[in-house]
Amino acid sequence: MIATADSQRRWRRIFLIVGGIVAAYALLAPLTSLDAAQAAGIPLLTDKFWFRIATYVVMFVVLATAWNIIGGITGYAAFGNVAFFGIGAYTTGMLIAKAKWPFLVALPLAPVLAALFAALVGLPLLRLRGHYFAVASLGVGVAVGELVQNIDYNGQPVFGGASGLFLPIYAVGHRGLFFFYLMCGAAAIAIAVTWWVLRSRFGYGLIAIRENEDAAAVIGVNTTAYKVAAFALAAALTGLAGGIFSQWNVFINQDNTFPIEYNVQMILMALLGGTGTVFGPAAGAVLLQLLIQFLGGSLPISFDLPFVSSEARPIVAQVILGLLLVVVVIFVPRGVIDFFGGRTRLSLSYLRRSLRDTSL
Amino acid sequence: MAAFVQLVILGLLAGGVYVAVGVGFGLVWGVLNIVNLAHGALVIVGGYVTWQLFTAFGLDPFLTLPVDAVALFVLGYALQRGVINRIIRAPLLFTFLLTFGLNLVIVNVLLLIFGSDFRSVTPTYSGQGFELGGIVIPYVRLASLGAAILLSTGLAFLLSRTRVGLSIHAIAADRDAAQLVGIDLRHTYAVTYGLGAACAGVAGGLIAMIQAITPTAGEPYTLQAFVVVILGGLGRVSATVVGGLAFGLVEAFGQSIPGSGSVFANAIAFGLMVLVLVTRPQGLMGRLR
Repeated sequence: MIATADSQRRWRRIFLIVGGIVAAYALLAPLTSLDAAQAAGIPLLTDKFWFRIATYVVMFVVLATAWNIIGGITGYAAFGNVAFFGIGAYTTGMLIAKAKWPFLVALPLAPVLAALFAALVGLPLLRLRGHYFAVASLGVGVAVGELVQNIDYNGQPVFGGASGLFLPIYAVGHRGLFFFYLMCGAAAIAIAVTWWVLRSRFGYGLIAIRENEDAAAVIGVNTTAYKVAAFALAAALTGLAGGIFSQWNVFINQDNTFPIEYNVQMILMALLGGTGTVFGPAAGAVLLQLLIQFLGGSLPISFDLPFVSSEARPIVAQVILGLLLVVVVIFVPRGVIDFFGGRTRLSLSYLRRSLRDTSL
Repeated sequence: MAAFVQLVILGLLAGGVYVAVGVGFGLVWGVLNIVNLAHGALVIVGGYVTWQLFTAFGLDPFLTLPVDAVALFVLGYALQRGVINRIIRAPLLFTFLLTFGLNLVIVNVLLLIFGSDFRSVTPTYSGQGFELGGIVIPYVRLASLGAAILLSTGLAFLLSRTRVGLSIHAIAADRDAAQLVGIDLRHTYAVTYGLGAACAGVAGGLIAMIQAITPTAGEPYTLQAFVVVILGGLGRVSATVVGGLAFGLVEAFGQSIPGSGSVFANAIAFGLMVLVLVTRPQGLMGRLR
């Protein structure tokens, strides 16, 4: 037993060190990439495309970490968080494109509006529990996207309609780098907020709600206020990511700001990394987003899938993703980070045990 | 007035499809406590079975409905027995993610097999109808409403009058007690999901006659099935029938609002659902569980 504990601790330390090195490299490498790496010809860093991928990865760190506040800590299975992403994107987008506000002034309004909207719909929705809340929130996500695309005023689409909304390009040196670090800033805020929540009275209240809502109410937690606050907090962080996305991507429409699959991806990321933890969702987001990009063939390092033509590849990637989802949910319900964190070891008996715990 | 009557009739006729989509979804949800996000994908599998039989053998699409039901029952039974049964005791988020994963796999396998082209099933009588007091009633719509009612009646009969149906009721009421009296849980769970899938298959056959289908066309039906079941109330087939017809009516009237067209279909559906959930969570016909 002692030997196992020792080796687990060693694995945990190795994981932390490797994770720290990778994170530091990812954060600092872009700075050096501009001249030095270009001269050295390091493939990943000279590629402008890499910034796009890296920014997407960090964006999902924000989304998954934000979902964790309502889904992981409070235990409400929100399936429509993409609504807040879209609202954030359209808030910033409209203020820049139509009202001609400068980006950095328009950006803070994205989380504010997303949080206000979340509080507004949260009041009725958070009275629902379980499946009802999950699908009602999914409905909000779908409905908001549809409204944004289709609302007309005097025959003119208010939000750019089906053809989307174009933003003026933000004039800043090294754009890719700028938005990468801006997104990293949002991720840092999201993680810091989670860290604070888990150590505050507020967070203990949320955990109490997750474990037993009626009991939480009995011991004096104002469950409605707590739940709505958690929902609004998650929405604010998600909206912030959406606001950055709109100016970064320059073009927004219903497809890229309200994609239903983001709802599932952020949950899967949090689940993969471990819900209710500070760094779990972030780690899951990095893993899964890189995997999605890799399977889709958009990473600089890639390989050909055998027996698959290039046209069929995106479809096959989706099939693999679906199968992966099924396998993860069935066999690794506590998240893969569990193994690296040293609490459990990946073994046949672990897989068998988790299967037995949940199956009929 | 005539326009009003026309809207009511069209709404009820359109409701037939929603009834068919809703009953299977409601059965799986009510008995297995699974919100089956793969339901729309199963619906579309049924649609492709009908399309394949119609184009390859020229079979009348209404005659393919039993084939849809049998094929989808087998698929559903296998899915529940092989995959979903393994996470039945996990928190609800897991069943959500699992069925979403199944949805992803089914839809993309269909894309690999059939491509993303629109496919439609057009028997000689499609597009025709008869006039009744100035109101045009399309044959296909009327027949599909009839088929949906028949399907629901058959399901209700099966659930209340047969041994299988009684064991389904038993596992819905109390899983452990059902096991104690000798019901094979794994088999009964799989049969229940299979029946739900069979209903989805029939719904898909009907949908293939009404609209052109693609592998991704099923997604709205998952959401609509949910709204239909909420609207009627969980737990009884007859409630879902009422919910489906009511949903058809709401949709018909929603689309008739000038300027909105059909673009707000989802927004109307979900607005309605949230309203029902907040004001009358047991649904129009339901009892509180």
